[in-house]
Amino acid sequence: MTDDQMLAPIVTCTNVCKRYGAFVALRDVNLEVSKGEVVCIVGPSGGGKSTFLRTINGLESIDSGTICFDGITIPGPARNVGLIRREAGMVFQSFNLFPHMTVRKNLILAPVRARGLSHAEANERAERLLKRVGIANQIDKYPDQLSGGQQQRVAIARALAMEPKVMLFDEPTSALDPEMVKEVLEVVRELAGSGMTMIIVTHEMGFAREISSRVVFMVEGSIAVDAPPERFFNAPSEPRLESFLSKVL
Amino acid sequence: MTLIGISEVMRSLPELWVGLRFTLLLVFASLAIGSIIGLFVCLGRLLGRGLLVGLCATYTTIFRGIPEVVLMFWIYYCGPLLGGFRPSSLSAALVAMSLYVGALLSEIFRGGILAVPRGQAEAARSLGVPEFWVWTSVILPQAFRIVIPALIGVAALTVKVSGIASTIGVTELVFEANVTAGQSYRYFEMFTAVGVFYFLILFPMSMIAKGYERKLVKRRK
Repeated sequence: MTDDQMLAPIVTCTNVCKRYGAFVALRDVNLEVSKGEVVCIVGPSGGGKSTFLRTINGLESIDSGTICFDGITIPGPARNVGLIRREAGMVFQSFNLFPHMTVRKNLILAPVRARGLSHAEANERAERLLKRVGIANQIDKYPDQLSGGQQQRVAIARALAMEPKVMLFDEPTSALDPEMVKEVLEVVRELAGSGMTMIIVTHEMGFAREISSRVVFMVEGSIAVDAPPERFFNAPSEPRLESFLSKVL
Repeated sequence: MTLIGISEVMRSLPELWVGLRFTLLLVFASLAIGSIIGLFVCLGRLLGRGLLVGLCATYTTIFRGIPEVVLMFWIYYCGPLLGGFRPSSLSAALVAMSLYVGALLSEIFRGGILAVPRGQAEAARSLGVPEFWVWTSVILPQAFRIVIPALIGVAALTVKVSGIASTIGVTELVFEANVTAGQSYRYFEMFTAVGVFYFLILFPMSMIAKGYERKLVKRRK
């Protein structure tokens, strides 16, 4: 990738606001993510991190502001949300694999139904991706026959099967037993190395520091700090970030 | 004249066989029609808005709240008032049972769909899967698994309720037993035979439901 491509923003969120009744979940959130960047979002629970991530692919509606995803904007024509979702892979805290389908079918569904791939093409892609996340031998098992770490790796492969332009991770390791966190982070690290653009909501500070191009601190529904990891962790400029870091590090 | 007239029952088997076939016709047809009604009413309540939701909810409340025998008589006799036609007893019974089964199933389907975790639809939508496939590939298959025991329960209830169709003259099992017993005065024997027939239909169904539930529990462990 050339420098020029690297700098082009692929996700631009401008003054995004979201309310639940009287509660303001997101307050004028502005974020720009360029191609190839890895942006980690950290902060205290209830700060709006997950809500914000979910607005990017339209799982949460927004009350005002705009989100521009690779030239597609919301709010906009009704089909825009669908267009964005095809290009934005999402990985959930609770995996959300389809329990009535084998791993293979979990990976084939979207490429066939949303991209129009043939079964053979989708199948070939599924096998390749499962090899990439290190669980090719589990392809014909059902999700409940796998460990949590394996399930989350399948979920990552399922999102990759759509060949997304951006990957969104919503606390991918929070529901995992400690010994399984590493295997999932390993896969995310490999993805970062391959140049994938990623936005990751996480509580793994060490991981955020190691992998990020930028770290974003979200608190009370807005972005309080947006800085490269060195500055973010070594010289926190915000009192709320300082207090947060002193609790989690 | 012997005390227990087995031979009378044997002689009436052809009539009872006719009755059994009508019973099964009523059951299968009303379950099939009721499933379609139930699915549409439940989707109307879940996906519709405004008037449609109200209509679907009203349908469910009314037809679950009226005793089956009243419903059957009402439909049998309302024809002349509404449009000057007289439905046959079989079609009146079919309509009544289908409406009743549809109301029961719409609530069961709704419960099943709502029991599928929200994250399932979210995961499918986040992959860009079109809404039609979100429903047919992800939500409905899982909801169906959840409601299978309740479906068997409704099927069993339908078998029992079908006996009421005899009151408006459908020649099903209870009706045939009544007629043949009227000729031989062997009411006790005839209705014992009918009881055995019903049991032979219902017992395997309850066994299947039990077996399925056991399998579900095992899988959850």
